[in-house]
Amino acid sequence: MNVGNHARTLRAAGLLLLACGMLSGCLSTKMYVDPVLPQVSKADIPVVPHPRPVQVLFEFQTKGNANASATGEIKPRVLAVAEQSGLFSSVSDTPANGEAGILKISINNVPVDKNAAAKGFGTGLTFGLAGTMVTDGYVCTASYSYGGHTTETTVKHAIYTTIGNHAAPQGLTPLQPADAVHQVADQLTWNALKQLADKQAFNQ
Amino acid sequence: MSLIRFAIVLAVAFLLGGCISAPPPKYQPGISNTQVLIQPAREKLGVGKFNAAPGVENAHLSVRGSSLNGGSDGTFSGYLRDALITELQTAGKYDANSDTQISGTLTGNRIETPIKTGTADVAAHFIVTKSGSTVYDKTFSAHHEWESSFVGAIAIPAAMQNYATAVQKLLGQLFNDPDFAKATMKSGSEGEPASAP
Repeated sequence: MNVGNHARTLRAAGLLLLACGMLSGCLSTKMYVDPVLPQVSKADIPVVPHPRPVQVLFEFQTKGNANASATGEIKPRVLAVAEQSGLFSSVSDTPANGEAGILKISINNVPVDKNAAAKGFGTGLTFGLAGTMVTDGYVCTASYSYGGHTTETTVKHAIYTTIGNHAAPQGLTPLQPADAVHQVADQLTWNALKQLADKQAFNQ
Repeated sequence: MSLIRFAIVLAVAFLLGGCISAPPPKYQPGISNTQVLIQPAREKLGVGKFNAAPGVENAHLSVRGSSLNGGSDGTFSGYLRDALITELQTAGKYDANSDTQISGTLTGNRIETPIKTGTADVAAHFIVTKSGSTVYDKTFSAHHEWESSFVGAIAIPAAMQNYATAVQKLLGQLFNDPDFAKATMKSGSEGEPASAP
């Protein structure tokens, strides 16, 4: 092997190491929760005269495909929100005793492009989506069934992720990825329950 | 060792540093599967033995140099069995001592993670017995695709994640089979209503 080959091989090895370093995730990412969706708490939920037990069926999806890891992580939060809402006498993800209703909630994480506003996502930010910021949409579909009646609703939310030195969205606080997703899941569930309650779903 | 060899060894070591060996994520029941199983006309089932057919990989699947391992008992047939029990429990249709038992054999188990589209193919032969007599005997195979990546740190977890989805699809095929519904119908039931509760 001559000196030229040595140099080329060393350069290749160096580039390989550099690529490995870049692919290892050392670039900083920050996440911001879209501010548009109303903050809902128990005080905003109508009182149900006769709360019933409920079985909650929850699934987190990524681009429409079931995501078992995320389902396992988010499900306890959805159950906790259902419990805190005061809409049910008991909350479980397994068959409930007695006259139980069934609450189905799915949250689908979808990529959002420049037509975000047209699709009902993330109207809280005024700057563009191009460059080093990406938007993740979250579509929550919820339904409550009891006694042969089913009431449905859909709620949408978004998370903005900046990569590298991209400026932070004005007025928003950066969050760790897990915290951002947890906050979005909580807000989606609270809003979905409020919308179902406003439709008298739990008064049957 | 020459400088070149040292650099190559360093690069390879760097690349291998991210190798992992893990089971698929804990199985989660699918809402659509529960909707089907929860029908009042369906009886409770027990779950018998699950094993793998000869030649079917039952312990490890290679994912870009990392290893996707079997479930709680170290096998993929065990993962499928656990998944089935989880689905039945969620729908309130599991009774270990039921007269109606379901057992199975993993007949196909593959996962591919090229740069563009990842694929998982899982197949199984299911047998339902009532009081020891076979009342149902069918094989299903599920094919699942997802967006993969050039970057291993993204592609490997995605593959492990999506294996569970392939198993969920396989069980969905079983639950939605009209012959399975007929075989697991309570005595005296006329049939299932068109919609879930």
